[in-house]
Amino acid sequence: MSEADPAAELFETESLLADAEPRDEGPALGSDPFAELDGPDPLAERLELLDRAWRDAQTRRSRARRAAPIAEVRADPRPADTAPLRVPSKRRAPVLPTLGEIELPEPRGLIDRFLGEDARRVLAAFSHLVENEGPYDRFGFSPEVTRRAFPFFQALYRGWFRVRSEGHANVPDSGPAVLVSNHAGLLPFDAAMTVIDLALHSDPPRLARAIVDRWAGTLPWINVFYARCGQVIGTRENFADLLDDGQLVLVYPEGVEGIRKTIAQRYRLQSFRVGFVEQALRSRAPIVPMAVIGSDDQAPILYDLKPLARMLGLPAAPITPTFPWLGPLGLLPYPVRYKIVYGEPLHFHERFGPEGAEDARLVRYLANQVRRTVQQLIDRSRS
Amino acid sequence: MKRVLVTHADEPIGRRAVKTLYHDSRVAAIFAVGDGPPPRSFDKFLSDGDTRVTYARVDLARHRPVSDLFHSSAFRAAEIDTVVHVPRHGAAASEQAPLVAGLAERTAETRLLLQHCLEAPEVESLVALGSAFVYRLSPGNVNRLDEESELDLDPDVPPEIRSWIDCDMLLHGEVHNDRLRVVLLRAPTVVASGGYVYLHPTLSGRGGRRLRPAGFDPICALISDKDVARAIVRAVHSTGPGIYNIAGSEALPLSLLARWTGRETWPVPGPVLSLASRGARITGRALDAALDGPHLRYGFTLDTKRAERELGFRPLDRIGMARAGDGALRLETASA
Repeated sequence: MSEADPAAELFETESLLADAEPRDEGPALGSDPFAELDGPDPLAERLELLDRAWRDAQTRRSRARRAAPIAEVRADPRPADTAPLRVPSKRRAPVLPTLGEIELPEPRGLIDRFLGEDARRVLAAFSHLVENEGPYDRFGFSPEVTRRAFPFFQALYRGWFRVRSEGHANVPDSGPAVLVSNHAGLLPFDAAMTVIDLALHSDPPRLARAIVDRWAGTLPWINVFYARCGQVIGTRENFADLLDDGQLVLVYPEGVEGIRKTIAQRYRLQSFRVGFVEQALRSRAPIVPMAVIGSDDQAPILYDLKPLARMLGLPAAPITPTFPWLGPLGLLPYPVRYKIVYGEPLHFHERFGPEGAEDARLVRYLANQVRRTVQQLIDRSRS
Repeated sequence: MKRVLVTHADEPIGRRAVKTLYHDSRVAAIFAVGDGPPPRSFDKFLSDGDTRVTYARVDLARHRPVSDLFHSSAFRAAEIDTVVHVPRHGAAASEQAPLVAGLAERTAETRLLLQHCLEAPEVESLVALGSAFVYRLSPGNVNRLDEESELDLDPDVPPEIRSWIDCDMLLHGEVHNDRLRVVLLRAPTVVASGGYVYLHPTLSGRGGRRLRPAGFDPICALISDKDVARAIVRAVHSTGPGIYNIAGSEALPLSLLARWTGRETWPVPGPVLSLASRGARITGRALDAALDGPHLRYGFTLDTKRAERELGFRPLDRIGMARAGDGALRLETASA
């Protein structure tokens, strides 16, 4: 194998990964990284090893590129026997204007008066997300419905949850990115507050497209409302398509396990699903870990009647201090103060490339790394 | 140069396919067949001086007429090498007849045509139009579907969709045939200028009221009839077999699509609609359109990357509202 053979480098990285797992010490990948949170990180050594291998490969590749003739450098870097990699589509990513570039029309109606100028500029920018300036994008997002719903959620943002946030600079201004957050609080107000926070604190404004559980798609009216406000049902194809479009995708890898956490598990992350890492690698998107403080306190669950939930086909059958005693009103969130913190982006795609998505162990390992980072953000923000 | 047979050329998409093929200089002859008399718009194609287009009335749902067609001297003389099958999709002529005249016939036609294409040595390619409503829809307002997505094999699927699935599976089985190149194009709701809708299990056919489950307003992927015809032409001239999703760039919620095409949708509670649908099925009542089904709850859009990559197909038409001659706002399609 020549030094410049990228396929060989790929195999070399894979073999490093394989060698790095001491079989007699039990499987490290897939195990709970929180088991020894206070002790040394059992996986840090492997990450360091992979990191070093990647840097070496990069150095060798750049040397080879300088030395090799052009035809050799352009050779297909993939080994011939691997499956074809998914290439992100060449679809034009929506370019949103900055707030200063938007010319606002005269305010019309009550909604515009409630919104204020900043929010109106943000919403005017969102209308550029729809291709050909149509009323709906192909995921059902409607700028007009979002405009009508915005005042209500903005009032919750300012008056009910009194949201403070930091680290907006860590969210990329443009291009695809995956926001990974903790999830809690029975009703997904944490998602709504994140969407509002990002809309109000980014320029050009970014609409976070939250990936919602399939179950939400079966709920009359709610499924329509979610879609019109830009939220998307969590299928692989939808996720990939959003990232290929250069959009900002908000995921909750805990899934419904997050929202049905009992009070004893407050601010402790449940196990993460791993699909978001796969998609981020394939679409070459950075992962931005973030923490929402407050959502775990908005509806503390004393007990979850899981058999009843299963029987009714619901994700949870919670007992809280107010539910079911006050009926549906008991589900309303308490007026807790929210704090949203965006962490530094993780550029896994630069290290491992789209090929990394094919390695299940690597994907699981990276998902655990993200989980650890989000947990650290939560712990730091609470203290 | 291609010599093409087009089925159901008297129905809207078939007519459009014939017109587009007629203006394609790479097509030497068009042999158009249909249930009814030749459409008036074919007059200039069928004029004495032009021998590129021939029209014949053939009942494709019966074995004998199809066999006669494939063994006729006219068919042999035309030296047809490509068959474009546009399954029946238009409204029946009489008011009393069901909207789509015969679902079982649609499947029978596809089976007979496929069988004769396999047997006719001169036919090299079969290009068939299918429906994208064959896919199984998961809960959600929008599902992005590619060609590998699962088909809806639920026995309770509405008969209109079932017939499309049957056609799809018949053709799917021959995609890898060594001798006959089979291309299947799966199209979503097809719209045409003036507010015409085809292939949608509930909206297609005559105008009027439709029911839909309250609280659901699925996104409908759209494509114009002209873009469907363009995709057919691309498929005729392509070299490989395969299954391709084709769609335009627009997508609209069901309620808005209905309004734009001059139809009304009345939301009724989902359980009531399900009961009504089951009742109609038990009593054997022929319904004008699918009363209930996943397509009325869950929307979809299509991943068309494969068609773009392998057929070079890109939709050219924009779909929007325009004021028609009578002053009413209607759905229109126009080149971007």
